[in-house]
Amino acid sequence: MVLLAAIALSSFVFIANPQGDLAISSLKVVSSNARRYPNKKQDLAFVHFNITADLAPLFHWNTKQLFLYLEAEYTNAKGTKNEVVIWDRIVRRKEDAFIKFAGKNKYMFRDVSSSFKNVPPAHYSLKYNVMPYVGVLTYGEAARTTEPVAFPPSQSRL
Amino acid sequence: MFTEELKAFKRLGFRHVLLQILNFASVIASGLMIWKGLGIVTNSESPIVVVLSGSMEPAFYRGDLLFLTNPAGERYNTGDITVYKIPGADIPIVHRVLETHDVKPKKSSKTAATSPVNQLLLTKGDNNYVDDIELYQGLEWLERKHIVGKVRGFLPYVGYVTIAMNDFPQLKYALLGGLGLLALIQRE
Repeated sequence: MVLLAAIALSSFVFIANPQGDLAISSLKVVSSNARRYPNKKQDLAFVHFNITADLAPLFHWNTKQLFLYLEAEYTNAKGTKNEVVIWDRIVRRKEDAFIKFAGKNKYMFRDVSSSFKNVPPAHYSLKYNVMPYVGVLTYGEAARTTEPVAFPPSQSRL
Repeated sequence: MFTEELKAFKRLGFRHVLLQILNFASVIASGLMIWKGLGIVTNSESPIVVVLSGSMEPAFYRGDLLFLTNPAGERYNTGDITVYKIPGADIPIVHRVLETHDVKPKKSSKTAATSPVNQLLLTKGDNNYVDDIELYQGLEWLERKHIVGKVRGFLPYVGYVTIAMNDFPQLKYALLGGLGLLALIQRE
């Protein structure tokens, strides 16, 4: 019991704040049919991005795994503040903690109003969640786009 | 077989038995008080939960213990792991937040200034391929009122006792009976 508490507390000693790079290489908006209502139109955004980050410093003896996720933040035309995870990865070993990834979004990126028309540019950020063997879950941000990326007008096909 | 024990029991007397029962009751009562007190501090109806499914593997396995908080004024971020309970479903679900949408309250309503923003959430289990919309029983989004709490701390395996007790009810009765007997017979 005491040992477990000591291990849990010891992870507060390890403070790492790794920084990486994140760049959005392309962004397309395509008009498509909604998932649950086939007659409704729904804009989907397709994001291509590059990530480079060395997250090895986050691994210490009480790190079970890292949950890494790429998030888009924007406020839409109606004033709704949105955060949408578009890609994630679970890192389980220190050897895999150097992230170099280029690819596209894993999860559907859509707006609640079903359209990206007149939506202000979005910020993208790479965040992580350190999950311990025992103790407290911690969160952090590893990279962020320097400039917000604007949504292009929607096209009928990719 | 039990003559020896019974004799010891008689020797202790009626008063002692009553005292032991009282002790036992106070143990149970303080346990309940701690649980309810934790519930008030964390603002969560169940501040400690046991993971019942493998949908968050490899983060959480069956039997892991999670500690939750649910501060009233706090908003949920993506990446947070929440425990939610859909009305109609009897089992709370532990999944990670995939999308948050802070919808502004309508300006016309009187409570707009005081009421917190209504947050719409979408969740997904780390080990599932698709998001949870099928689990919401017809709801489009998860709302704040469905959420039991946010996972803050983690303790592996400990909760397996409760899973074992649910799977083998005999074990539960054996454990309870054993504890009760021990409390009655034990002398200080």
